[in-house]
Amino acid sequence: MRPDASTFERVLTRALGSGDYADAFYEYKVTRSFRLQDGRVHEGAIGVSCGVGIRVVSGERAGYAYSDDLSEGALLDTARVAALIATGGGARVESVHLPAGPEAAIGLYGDPEPLRLRAESATYVDFLARADVAGRAADSRIATVNATFAVELQDVAIATSDGRFVSDRRPLVTLGVQCVAAGKVRGTGFCGDGGRTSVDFFERRSPEDVAREAARIACVNSDAVETPAGEMEVVVGAGSGGVLLHEAVGHGLEGDFNRQGTSLYSGRVGERVASELVTIFDDGNLPGERGTVAVDDEGTPGEHKVLVERGVLRGYMQDRQNASLMGAHSTGSGRRQSFRFMPQPRMCNTYMPDGDSTYDEIVASVRRGIFATSFAGGQVEISKGDFVFMLAEGYLIENGKLTAPLRGASLIGNGPDAMNRVTMVGNDGRLAGRYYTCGKGGQYVPVGVGMPTVKLASVTVGGSGVAG
Amino acid sequence: MPDEVDVAREVVELAMRAGATQADASYTVSDRFSTEARAAEVVKLEQSVARGVTLRVFDRGAKATLSTSDLAPERLRAFVREAVDAARFVAADPHGGLPEPGGFAVDWPELATYAGDVRARPAEEKIADALTLEAVVRDTDSRIFNSSGSRIADATSTFALANSYGFAGSYRSSQVAASTAPIARDGDDKRPGSYGSAARSYAALEPIGSIARKAARKAVASIGARKPATMRCAVVFDRDVASLVLSDFFAAVNAANVAIGNSFLANRIGDRIGSDLATIVDDGRLPNGLGTSPFDSEGVATRRTVVVAGGVLQTFLYDTYYARRLGAASTGNASGGGIGPNNFYLLPGAGTVEALVASTASGVFVTDTIGFATESVTGTYSRGARGFLIENGELGRPIDGFTIAGNLVSMLGALDAVADDLVFDQGIVAPTIRIAEMTVSGT
Repeated sequence: MRPDASTFERVLTRALGSGDYADAFYEYKVTRSFRLQDGRVHEGAIGVSCGVGIRVVSGERAGYAYSDDLSEGALLDTARVAALIATGGGARVESVHLPAGPEAAIGLYGDPEPLRLRAESATYVDFLARADVAGRAADSRIATVNATFAVELQDVAIATSDGRFVSDRRPLVTLGVQCVAAGKVRGTGFCGDGGRTSVDFFERRSPEDVAREAARIACVNSDAVETPAGEMEVVVGAGSGGVLLHEAVGHGLEGDFNRQGTSLYSGRVGERVASELVTIFDDGNLPGERGTVAVDDEGTPGEHKVLVERGVLRGYMQDRQNASLMGAHSTGSGRRQSFRFMPQPRMCNTYMPDGDSTYDEIVASVRRGIFATSFAGGQVEISKGDFVFMLAEGYLIENGKLTAPLRGASLIGNGPDAMNRVTMVGNDGRLAGRYYTCGKGGQYVPVGVGMPTVKLASVTVGGSGVAG
Repeated sequence: MPDEVDVAREVVELAMRAGATQADASYTVSDRFSTEARAAEVVKLEQSVARGVTLRVFDRGAKATLSTSDLAPERLRAFVREAVDAARFVAADPHGGLPEPGGFAVDWPELATYAGDVRARPAEEKIADALTLEAVVRDTDSRIFNSSGSRIADATSTFALANSYGFAGSYRSSQVAASTAPIARDGDDKRPGSYGSAARSYAALEPIGSIARKAARKAVASIGARKPATMRCAVVFDRDVASLVLSDFFAAVNAANVAIGNSFLANRIGDRIGSDLATIVDDGRLPNGLGTSPFDSEGVATRRTVVVAGGVLQTFLYDTYYARRLGAASTGNASGGGIGPNNFYLLPGAGTVEALVASTASGVFVTDTIGFATESVTGTYSRGARGFLIENGELGRPIDGFTIAGNLVSMLGALDAVADDLVFDQGIVAPTIRIAEMTVSGT
């Protein structure tokens, strides 16, 4: 199915024309999933994404075209369309040469053959049934359990006009469980896990565990009261609190926004952008995590990147085009949703290493504020740096203790402003459950986030309860 | 090259031969173009044809689906067999299966879903549009110093559907979108503005100059914005933001959410759920509408459905499956394997936006929101926001860094003004609205 080296050579030679650089991205991705609703397996689904995307880069310009027809004729036509943006200059007659076969990326995904082949559907359906039983048994208030189990295997090959030819075989497994509890109000709880690993993952992290956690959150939320409104101290919980780093800082450090000067972090490498308690990494090399890339979608190996070190901005996340325009190197951050999209600089797994405080010290230091245990997601506006994130589970803190659970609210802040207000960092860092997906420019890619418990001196909390 | 409908029919036959008791299949061919200009340069040019097959197979009412861009005959056959096999692992379901044969679209009026100018317009002119949009937006005001780019994108598609009852149909559609995202300088701060518009044809698209001026005004008008005080007050949502609120409301009338306990409107049909200004309609047959089609993704004829009439909930929006489950009839809202809006809109009022603001003693006027926290289970609504203070019936200083919060139920009840500025430039649209009281959280 995958075009061979000589086909890619002819296609890339046609594409390159007068451009600086051309690449071809081949993808064959199969996703198999089952969905459980109301105690019954409700639907099975198979998704197949198959095609080649061809890009031609010329300075700031990029042309792109894709084809789901893998014949050489169709690929040559696609190359011609992709090259339209780079025509006009004196065409260089230059042939592209590739190795005879692709070099397989060093796997970071557990088993060499990631998906076990035995009785797949039966296994997946069994996971869902076990999650359902455990979710309902967890608490008599649980009224509904909905769950999805998905297994994806994405084969990619990237061939470039400068002679790179690499392949990668990427598994992704995800179990997501949603519970609804009928208490004072109807409370929802969600928990998901999985990663770029084999289905064996769920022998260590059982479907029952995932379901019980979703049920616990649903029950907490079914007792929740209205969140207060106004500025207050906020403690962000370990794990999914990493959404804060992803939104408040991460997006602003992506190479495209900084090359264009549209990010508030543009031109600020070496400057102080956060409290000196703040260090932030983005890592494509963590084995088995959702955001891990043995090679990115341009064929560059994933890296461990220091974004912010003790409050000082150290560097951006780069794909090839933006790196080349900024005189930097690609950090293995060129990612795309599928062959139908050009790559963009994207985060992989973004997290903060441990600080010195204990969880107890941090919570005890707050007289009145909010403890944000976990987030359902977030969003940022790049130029000004305003971000919001949405509470999935949270509590009031009164006199150093967690008290009433709070109903869903948004927290709003400004990236650098919030990062300057980090006054305590815990020693309990961990990565969040593996189910986050990041959207940018209409493209969705799996990512990881993580953080220790962190205290922010003041954040605007968007509840509907006005105190006093 | 076989007709698109024939491809869909062949896939249905493959599924029936593989053992499905019922099946439907669609084949979509979509010709897409997009270009982006930044400063004086064309920086992106993308052009492709996307093809895809989606298949639903039923066995004892149990459903499995296949969605694939791999149309090579042997592999397509193998995946169809795999889908039929997957359905065996799904629970038997008395409500599952194709629509009743009487419900399919038979003929339909001209709905103007397709415009010839989208394919006919030369790429050079579309590129020139993007360059013009970028140039005008940067020239509008000297404080605009940068942009995230100006974009023109279009697509023409053929959607063909066939099923094992013998229904077969297809229709063409087109869409054009233009958008731009300028950034104004405010001391050391950057103030983004963005605006876009869409239509079925280049002829019907909002003029480039108008799109540019609106985006530029948004960026410049927010210069000097500060956090407002925390308060309870009237909130005016401009039409773009009101459309997002209506999208949140759609989730609560989506019968799938109702059936699984994920909607705060379950069991509320016939109840007053909003003020008498709240009349909400779903119309699949609106000529030129971006949500218009002759039939939904199951082949059921689209129609006009009044969802909320003068504040009273009339119906949910159904596909065939959830209609059977909830004892109703499909409203022609099946969409890509779930339930989706056709043209879903809030009926406009009589007065202008200016008059609406003038009648507001004090409050906030919201022009942008960020976040997506609405829970359809409880209706809890909370968003980050930007806009202006309203003082004595006039727009005052720009504000940002605040949130607005409430509950969709109480918001609909407190809907006390609706302006006349409804424009069908998306599938879900609303005019400018005012909610009498919500919580604004700032300092």
